[in-house]
Amino acid sequence: MISRTNAIVIAVTLFFCGPLLRIGHAQQAQTETQAVQVIGLAGLKENTKGRLTVVNGTLRFVYAKGNVAVAAASIEDVVTGKDSQRVIGGTFGTLASIAAPYGSGSVMPFFRKKVDILTIQYRDADGGLHGAIFTMPRGKADPIKKELVAQGAHTSVPNLADLIKNLTDSREEKR
Amino acid sequence: MRTNFKNALAVFVLLTLCFAGQLRAEAKQPAKMKASAVEVKMIPSDELTLPPEFQVSLYENLIEQLQKRAVFPRVYRDGDRNAGNAADLITLECTVVKFNKGNETLRQVTTIAGATSMTLRCDFMDKQGNSLLVRDITGKVRFFGGNLKATYDFAKKTAKVADENFSSGTSGS
Repeated sequence: MISRTNAIVIAVTLFFCGPLLRIGHAQQAQTETQAVQVIGLAGLKENTKGRLTVVNGTLRFVYAKGNVAVAAASIEDVVTGKDSQRVIGGTFGTLASIAAPYGSGSVMPFFRKKVDILTIQYRDADGGLHGAIFTMPRGKADPIKKELVAQGAHTSVPNLADLIKNLTDSREEKR
Repeated sequence: MRTNFKNALAVFVLLTLCFAGQLRAEAKQPAKMKASAVEVKMIPSDELTLPPEFQVSLYENLIEQLQKRAVFPRVYRDGDRNAGNAADLITLECTVVKFNKGNETLRQVTTIAGATSMTLRCDFMDKQGNSLLVRDITGKVRFFGGNLKATYDFAKKTAKVADENFSSGTSGS
């Protein structure tokens, strides 16, 4: 049986810690997706799989052996693109398409999935320019880009919706 | 006895020919230029529309391959403040001359179409901006691999060209 004093202590503790827990959740990533780092992040092998998040003004790539963070403010350009890649990739996919009987392997390249590409260019502490490329499921790159731009990253290709809004605002100002 | 003499003569002639060929090849090689560091500039995409992922992939692969070949003791990134202090610094600027994105699916199905290829003019310059070496280098992917593999091919060839024409001046390179 929990005594009345204990119950009060627990209630008071929860009352004060509750908001802290909520802050913790607020700091959690708004935008998170599975991604493949194709090339560019220091100390990572090509085509490393992981999770890409934008949290507290940093782009964070979390993979099996650790994580790499890039400050959004240091990103000089963030651009999205679209491409497709083989469902069964790598050496196995290539060998399977060659070895499949009666030329059926030539059909394999048609089993492709569409992916989004996120390309960033950023500067390190010495001013050196770095570039990194990520691929992710379709429709995931734009929210990440939007979040990065909101947190201080720059882009050479602004969002179309933002462009239209700016144009409308400037027209209204003229009137 | 006579057969032995013939064999010895044949071996001697063969060895002479081999050494003569090697000496001629060495004589043909131009003297390597001395450089202890290189600064790789980002590939501009103004003149020819180059997708950003190709632009970044070219740049990153170039840096990786130059570091791998170890022609230059130091490889600096575009804008690195430490590059200014390096003695015998050369700058590598590449501009896109030709670019064909290709198509991976088409490449694998037809094997003759869909190749990705790119030609870049690579200009190795000294600190004053004088050209030391200008080469058009092509990177391509014909059958296996994604389109970005052409950037790896280009970077490998560029590092080879750098290796053939530059040396750090230190022993062992």
